[in-house]
Parts: sequence; structure tokens; C-alpha cells
Amino acid sequence: MTSLPATIFRELRDPLNLVRHLPTLLAVGLVLYAIVAGGYVVALAGFALIYAVFVTGLNIFMGLGGQASFGHNAFAAISGYTSAVLTTSYGWETLPAMGVGVLGAVTLAVIIGYPTLRLKGHYLAMATLAIGLIVYEIAVQWQSVTQGYTGISGIPPLGIGKWEAASDRAQLIVLSLIVILAMLSAWRIRNSRFGRALVAFSGSEDAARALGIDVARYKLAAFVVSAVYAAIAGSLLVHIVGFVSPEVFGMSMVIAGFTMLYVGGIGAVVGPLVGAVMINLLPETFRGLKEYQDIIYGVALIMILIYAPGGFASMSTLWRGAPSEDDTIARDPGLAVNALEAKP
Amino acid sequence: MIDPTYLGQILVNGISVGCIYGLIGIGFCVIYNASGIVNFAQGAFVMLGGMTAYLLIAKTGLPLLAAGVIATLVVAVLGVALERLVVRPLWDRNATMFVMILATLAAQIVVERAMLLMVGDQPKSIAVFTDLPPIRIGGVAIGYQLLWIIGVSVVLISALNAFFQRTLVGRAMRACAIDREAAALQGINVSGMLALSFALSAGLGAIAGFLVTPTQYTAYNVGTPFAISGFIAAIVGGFGRPLGAFLGGIILGVSQALAVVTFGSGMKNVAALSVLLLFLFFRPTGLLGTAK
Repeated sequence: MTSLPATIFRELRDPLNLVRHLPTLLAVGLVLYAIVAGGYVVALAGFALIYAVFVTGLNIFMGLGGQASFGHNAFAAISGYTSAVLTTSYGWETLPAMGVGVLGAVTLAVIIGYPTLRLKGHYLAMATLAIGLIVYEIAVQWQSVTQGYTGISGIPPLGIGKWEAASDRAQLIVLSLIVILAMLSAWRIRNSRFGRALVAFSGSEDAARALGIDVARYKLAAFVVSAVYAAIAGSLLVHIVGFVSPEVFGMSMVIAGFTMLYVGGIGAVVGPLVGAVMINLLPETFRGLKEYQDIIYGVALIMILIYAPGGFASMSTLWRGAPSEDDTIARDPGLAVNALEAKP
Repeated sequence: MIDPTYLGQILVNGISVGCIYGLIGIGFCVIYNASGIVNFAQGAFVMLGGMTAYLLIAKTGLPLLAAGVIATLVVAVLGVALERLVVRPLWDRNATMFVMILATLAAQIVVERAMLLMVGDQPKSIAVFTDLPPIRIGGVAIGYQLLWIIGVSVVLISALNAFFQRTLVGRAMRACAIDREAAALQGINVSGMLALSFALSAGLGAIAGFLVTPTQYTAYNVGTPFAISGFIAAIVGGFGRPLGAFLGGIILGVSQALAVVTFGSGMKNVAALSVLLLFLFFRPTGLLGTAK
């Protein structure tokens, strides 16, 4: 394992690598531009950063662990609604409300993860999809708390104690810091004993078991960790937007998340940021497409799945040299994807 | 204490909704048996069936049953389109199961959103097929639409059964279900079966959507709950068994109806999803065991 500065230095030494990292540099550049320029682009950059956190969670569970979950919107919803209710109805401060929300999501992840993760293939996919839909339905039906479709408005912005990130710029800076933390932690996870265990069982559960890896325990741990990212993203979303309704955490959140994951490249630590920025900011250059957003995401995802199943980043293999010794998974996202159960 | 007449009413309604779930569940089985694919866009067919019929009646003034038949054919063609545009390219590239699920789920969202743009978010409905007061048996009212649903379902299932048992094409599809390579070696056009299974499955979904629309309503987003109910029906019956799926649908319909009485109508989908989770956790092979 190499240290982060050393890795960055090594990566940027080679001009060919600069080309390879162009999408990342572009994504970071766009966020920086939003912070400096302000205005309408700020809201979009905010969404992109929040989704980057959400997708990082998916990336750990699916990119490293090779497991399918179509229900991570459930964790975002639980945390988001907890934040919203505690701050508006009970006058809590933002930070403790978020903490309780994340704790609630983690509790749910442990409870449902235990039986769910024993399932495989279609069953796992449908069970996770069902969990997402159950939480969505509860958000619609439990009107006394969630106010149904009407939603909860007037949620306070992010803040600590007296200080509130009220201005757009302050919000973006806070979000950027959170995304940096999310990426760093994902990077640490990938290079840890835990991360290697995930990669091992995504390749072959039997082989991993033979090596002494407690697959069930690590799977649950990966599920819970990814739920934490989803939950944090859910809370951030409600505090940044100031409003929450069930639609915010619908199934399209998961599809959008997977689109970003595939665009950015599965398994790569910065993939979620690249994907989220590209998916959130680029369509905006074609104004008036807001209504078609979900259609564009869906069609884009299908095209990528057909023509670049390792994600956009895998296309860079075209001009990539020999892989370095330490991070083959990050460089070959297809590895993690192919490891998913083969076609029956 | 619940009034027995009311309970009877609930059971009758549960059975008729269950037939719908059963038809959708059979749609899952038909594709799964032909290809091993679980089509997560199955709900789109149900929504399209009801919506196309509604549009035909509202825009062209076609008689009800003609609209139903045309809608079924249109959706069957759309099913083949889904197969050609999304499933076939992935199938040819040996995509993983996860990718196939994600792609069909994405297709579902695309169809839903496109319909939202076309017709808006207001629920639509079509008239009942036979506009007569319901038959009363001991205080339980049985509407003609329920009879239509149950009747058409029974006819369809008998026809499907005959198709799979007697006809050459039906037998070829069953052969694919048992072993695709062996079937190909016998000269069966396996990839043709994939397209046919999508057409059949889409048609079944469309009929289900057409039948159920007069009793409930249809909207751009009704597909996913129906698809999940159909999937549950297929699981309860043992995945890949068409008759099991039908039985599973009725069990699900009745238990959902009972849940509505006990916990209120808002809990309809939550109850169905809970049945799914219970089966997945405790008896994933279903009541009859999986087909394979």
C-alpha cells in the first residue's frame, strides 16, 4: 500500500496519465468553477456532490463487493426524513439530527441486511428493490409524520452550533469537504484488509471462504458501510434543498445513481465524483431538458451497459499502459462487474 | 368482529386481483423459462396495456373490446422491441445477470417517464366491460368486471397450457427451459424463442392491465407495484412454474385484501412486499418448489 501523496505524484508524473485523469480534473474543475462563479450552477454542483457521496456507497457494495442492491434509496430516505422531522418539528440542530438519521439507517441496514444478503441473483435484486419501495410507500402513507406527497418544507441548512452554511458558496465548500472525506475513506477502505476481502469474494465466494474470509460477515459490513454513505447523502439532500417529499427518494434515485456509477467507472474511487458531475452538469448545457432527465439517464445507462459494460472509465484502457502492481481493480472495473454471477 | 359478508366481499375482490397478479407472474415465468432472464420491465407492459386501451378509446372512439385487442397486440410488438433494443444486445454480449436486471429496470423507468410526458400524471380509467348491477350471492356483490377478470384468466391459462403441451412451438419453448444448448442442438431456434417469449409475456401483461383498469385506474407509475406483485406471485408458486404463479397470485391477492381490512388501504403495497420478503427469507423456493 502506498501513501496518497505518493500515489498522486506517481500518477501525474506521466503525461499519458494526465490524459487518463482528464475526466477527474474536469470534474474537480467544474466544482471549483461553481464555487467561484456562483449562481445557478451552484445548485447543480451541490446535487452532484451529494450524489457523489451516495454513489460512493454503491461503489463499495457493488464495485468492490460485487453485490447488487436496488434499494439504497431506503437508507437515504430514512436518514433524510429523520433529519427533516427532528429539525422542523422538534427544533433539533442539524448535526445531531443527521447523526440520529444515519444511526437509524444503519440499524435498518443491519436488521434487513442479515436475512437479505443470504439471497443471490434475482432474489437479492428483487428483495432490495422491495425494501426501497416499502420505505417509499411508508413515506407516502405515514402522513402524520412525513406529510405524504405534500412533503416537509422549511428544513434548516447545514450548520454547526450558531454557524449555518446559509450562502450557496458556503454550502458548496462544506459539501466539497464532505466529498473529499468520502473519497478518502473509500480509498482507505479499498486498500484495507476489509476492502481486499470484498474484492476477494466478489471474484469467488468459495475461494474467499477457502482463504478464511468470513463472507457473510464482510458482506453485511459492506452493506452497512454503503448504507452509511447513502444515509449521509440523504440527510445532506434535505438540508441543502430545504424540502423533502417521497419523490426525492424514489426508485429513480437508484437508477440515477447507477448511471453515475457506470459513467464514472465502477470500482475507481473518484468514479462517483466524475459520474455525478458529468450526469448532473452536462445535461444542463441543453436547457429545457429537465423533463426528459430520467429518460436520458435511463437511455444513457442502457447504452453504457451494452457498449461499455465496465463504465466509461473502462474505455480509457484504449490508451492505457500496463497496469501497475497495486490497484488492478480500480484500473479494471470490468473485473468487479464480471465477477457478478454469470448468466445462468 | 368483522362482518362475514364484508369478509366474503374482500375475498372475492382478492381473488380477482390475484388473477391479475397471476397473469403478470406467468409473464415472468414465460421469459424466464425461455432465457433465464428475469425481466424487471414487466410492469411496463401492464401499464402500457391499460394506457394504450384508454388512449385508443379516448382518441379514436373504438369499442372497448376492439381497443383491448389492439392494445394487447401493440404491447406485444413493444415487448419484441424491448427484446431487440435492450435485451438482445446484452444477451449477445453475455452480459451478467446484474447488468440485465439493471438494463430492464432502466427501460421500465424510460417507459414510465415517456408515458408521464405523453399523458400527464392524472389517473385514467376505462369503462367496465359489462355495465350491469353486480350479482348478489348472500349479500356478497360480484361485479361483472370481476367475472370478466376471472373468466379471461381461466381461458388464457387453459390456452397457454394447450400451447405448451400440444403445439410444436410451445414444446420447443419448454425444451429451451430445460436445456437451451440441447434444444439448440435439436434444431430449435433458441434466439427466436427469446423474441417470442417477450411477445407472449408482454401480451399477457397488457391483457392484465386492460382487465384491471376498469376496477382500479391506470397511471404512468402503476407498473412497478404490479410487476413486484407478479414477481411475488411467481416466487410464491415456485419460480418458472406458470400454474404455480397463478396460484401464487391468488394467494397474494387474498392476503393483500385481508391486510387492507386489518391495517387500512394504505398498507396494500407494504403488505405485498412483506409477503415477498417473508417468502424470500423463509421459503425462497416457493410453495411448489422452483421449476429448475
